[in-house]
Amino acid sequence: MHAYVHIVDDDASFRTALERRLKLAGYRVATYASARQLLDRLPGDEEAGCIVLDVRIPGMSGPELQIRLNELESTLPIVFLTGHADTATTVQAIKAGAEDFLTKPIASEQLIEAINRAVARHELTRSQRTRLDSLRALLARLTPRERQVFDLIVCGRINKQIAYELGTTERTIKAHRHQVMEKMQVQSLAELVSIAERLNAGAPGGQVKG
Amino acid sequence: MGNAIRLSGLIILLATLLSPAGLRAQEARPHSMLVLDQSDRRGPFYYQVFVGLRDAVSAHSHAPTTIYTESLDLNRFGGEAYQESFRRFLETKYRDRPIGVVVAVGAAALEVALRWRPQLWPDTPIVFALVEEADFERLRPPAFVTGGIVTLKFENAVSVARAVVPDLKTVVIVGAEWERQVIFRNWKDQVAAGIPGVDIIEMVGRPMPDIIGQVAALPDRSAIIYTGLYSDGKGNYYPPSDALAFVAAKANRPIVVSAETFLRPGGIGGFVIVPSLIGAEAAKRALRLLDGEAPENLPPSAIDAVRPIFNWQQMQRWSVSEASLPQGSEIRFRDPSFLEKYRWRAIALATALLVQTLLIAFLLHERHMRRKAEVEARNQQSQLAHINRQATAGELSSSIAHELNQPLGSILTNAESAELILGSPTPDLQEVREIISDIKRDDLRASEVIRRMRSLLKRAPFEKKDIDLNQSMREAFDFLKPQASARNVAIYLQTSPQTLRVKGDPVQLQQVILNLVVNSMDAMARMPYGRTIIGRTEVNGAESAVISISDSGPGIPQDRLNEIFDPFFTTKEQGMGIGLSIARTIVLAHSGQLWAENQSGGGAVFHLSLPLAA
Repeated sequence: MHAYVHIVDDDASFRTALERRLKLAGYRVATYASARQLLDRLPGDEEAGCIVLDVRIPGMSGPELQIRLNELESTLPIVFLTGHADTATTVQAIKAGAEDFLTKPIASEQLIEAINRAVARHELTRSQRTRLDSLRALLARLTPRERQVFDLIVCGRINKQIAYELGTTERTIKAHRHQVMEKMQVQSLAELVSIAERLNAGAPGGQVKG
Repeated sequence: MGNAIRLSGLIILLATLLSPAGLRAQEARPHSMLVLDQSDRRGPFYYQVFVGLRDAVSAHSHAPTTIYTESLDLNRFGGEAYQESFRRFLETKYRDRPIGVVVAVGAAALEVALRWRPQLWPDTPIVFALVEEADFERLRPPAFVTGGIVTLKFENAVSVARAVVPDLKTVVIVGAEWERQVIFRNWKDQVAAGIPGVDIIEMVGRPMPDIIGQVAALPDRSAIIYTGLYSDGKGNYYPPSDALAFVAAKANRPIVVSAETFLRPGGIGGFVIVPSLIGAEAAKRALRLLDGEAPENLPPSAIDAVRPIFNWQQMQRWSVSEASLPQGSEIRFRDPSFLEKYRWRAIALATALLVQTLLIAFLLHERHMRRKAEVEARNQQSQLAHINRQATAGELSSSIAHELNQPLGSILTNAESAELILGSPTPDLQEVREIISDIKRDDLRASEVIRRMRSLLKRAPFEKKDIDLNQSMREAFDFLKPQASARNVAIYLQTSPQTLRVKGDPVQLQQVILNLVVNSMDAMARMPYGRTIIGRTEVNGAESAVISISDSGPGIPQDRLNEIFDPFFTTKEQGMGIGLSIARTIVLAHSGQLWAENQSGGGAVFHLSLPLAA
């Protein structure tokens, strides 16, 4: 499984040279002559990869494309590679979350290192996102009643309080609670709270009267 | 009555007191003088004698003196009967006119006066003038006679002839018979005695036609010595100076003369007797006698009435230089020189010339200074233009770096790829070949960027060359393309089909184009989209080429259209305001024009017109 490198550069000669080199290094490569071309064929998160982006390209510039991709919630890390780096542009790009900011000409080992770092980060981001997605799927399996119970449990309510709040018996709550633990595949209350934290769910005070 | 006696007594007393001591006893003579000319007073020589005399008498103003004159005309008339009749005529004429002193001009006149004195003026003293030494010796006048004795030497005339004619061999004496001559008759003996080394031809007493015929054919190295002719031998009489004119008209040799009045008719000059001096000297003696001095106390003496005087025009004719003349010579009838003739005009002309010269010198100086200033201004303009180019280059530096690093990046990456491929067990040589050709292309690209950069930053002195404006435009636009694309500006260039030959500095003209295009880019910086620059070249008539740079920006406020070319006018936050001002300076130095206007469809357009090279 090889990572996908997306090269955006208006210089055809450089695109070819870099494509050639990265392919030799074992990457799969896609090239784009402008920001518009990349946006038209926006790559998803399915595969680990990164974007190697020139700062000065006709039409939408590199930093402008970076902002646009953030808006589109793209997780692809961006390695800037430019002929001329001025401080303002560099700072702006790094603040906006650029993985690296390199200047041409650059030894390919250096560039490949940066690309590897970016790809690794993308993989991490992607795996984190996969875990959350599965937790979200577990949570979605809860019945509305069970979800209510879940929210109150992670707020630290005991069964009697929950029964009182939901207007039912303590025994019923106990059964719901068991169901929730089962469905969320946790053994302890602490685990359940941690999941709620990560998913930012069960916000206390939202549904619970204080 | 008693008063009158007293008055006359006083006058006598005064006269006695004023008179010289030795003459107090003498009684004052009547203040009148009778001048007896031996010749005709109307002849120029005797006239001058009389003028000298009269002037001296007039100057003697304290006692007015009456002058009577009689011309005896002895050259032409003679004989006992004539003289006797003349004596009687005088006796009758001056019966009632007391004469204080008789002045006899010439030895012949003196002889006559001495003869007549007992009858006509028994107590009257006689003053002679123009009496030659030999005549004086011959006459031995008594004590009541006084006067100035003149000395005329033939050898002087010969020495002058020698001065006038180098290697003189012959002198020719031209004149009347010696006996008829009144002044020079004494030369007869001197001539007869001869002068060593000089042949003397006597052409004396000949008829005028003979003389004229002979003087026209005289040998070389000869000179004529003229003594005076009074008649043509056929009964026509004339003053000797007139006769000289006839001789001089024909003579082929210079004529040495011995009387001042012979200079003008054609004598070259010589030791001449000056008649006015003789007259003046005689008058002085006569007046002293009239004032009461006794003639015994005023004995005859030699006087100096001879001067070396020469005729300048004759000197020219005979090529006689001033240096060869006797010392102290006076030169007459000099042609007035140009300066003498046109004195005021010459001064005015000289002044005008001087003023003009000064003016020209001043103007030349001015021109020199202006040249210097122009050169300095041009140097400064060159420097400023260079600074502006550097500033432009600074502005463009990021795009230049970008443009340069682009090929360099490609080259490095390609080289590494090739290395990798070649390191593999089965290298794909076809790919390596492709890589190398890419490297070559990128290398050329990089060097092209550097060449353009260098041509912009070259610090060259202003020099005009034959250039093609289309070519300059193309290069400038190529140079600007990366910058334009980085700034999201579409630039287009439309060049005229024909070449536009102009004389100009290629670097500076490109700088103008660069300034205009960068300026347009700056003007459009705040536009979100649609940034366009169009460059155009075209021929305007047969005389000029026009470049226009139009943009799609906001245009220039109408009231600022002229200000934008002023130095330090800027609308940019970081602009110096020298770009357009330098552009216009450069264009003016190329005898061109640069102006701006707004397009009807929006945006500004700059026009640059340059004269086409012939």
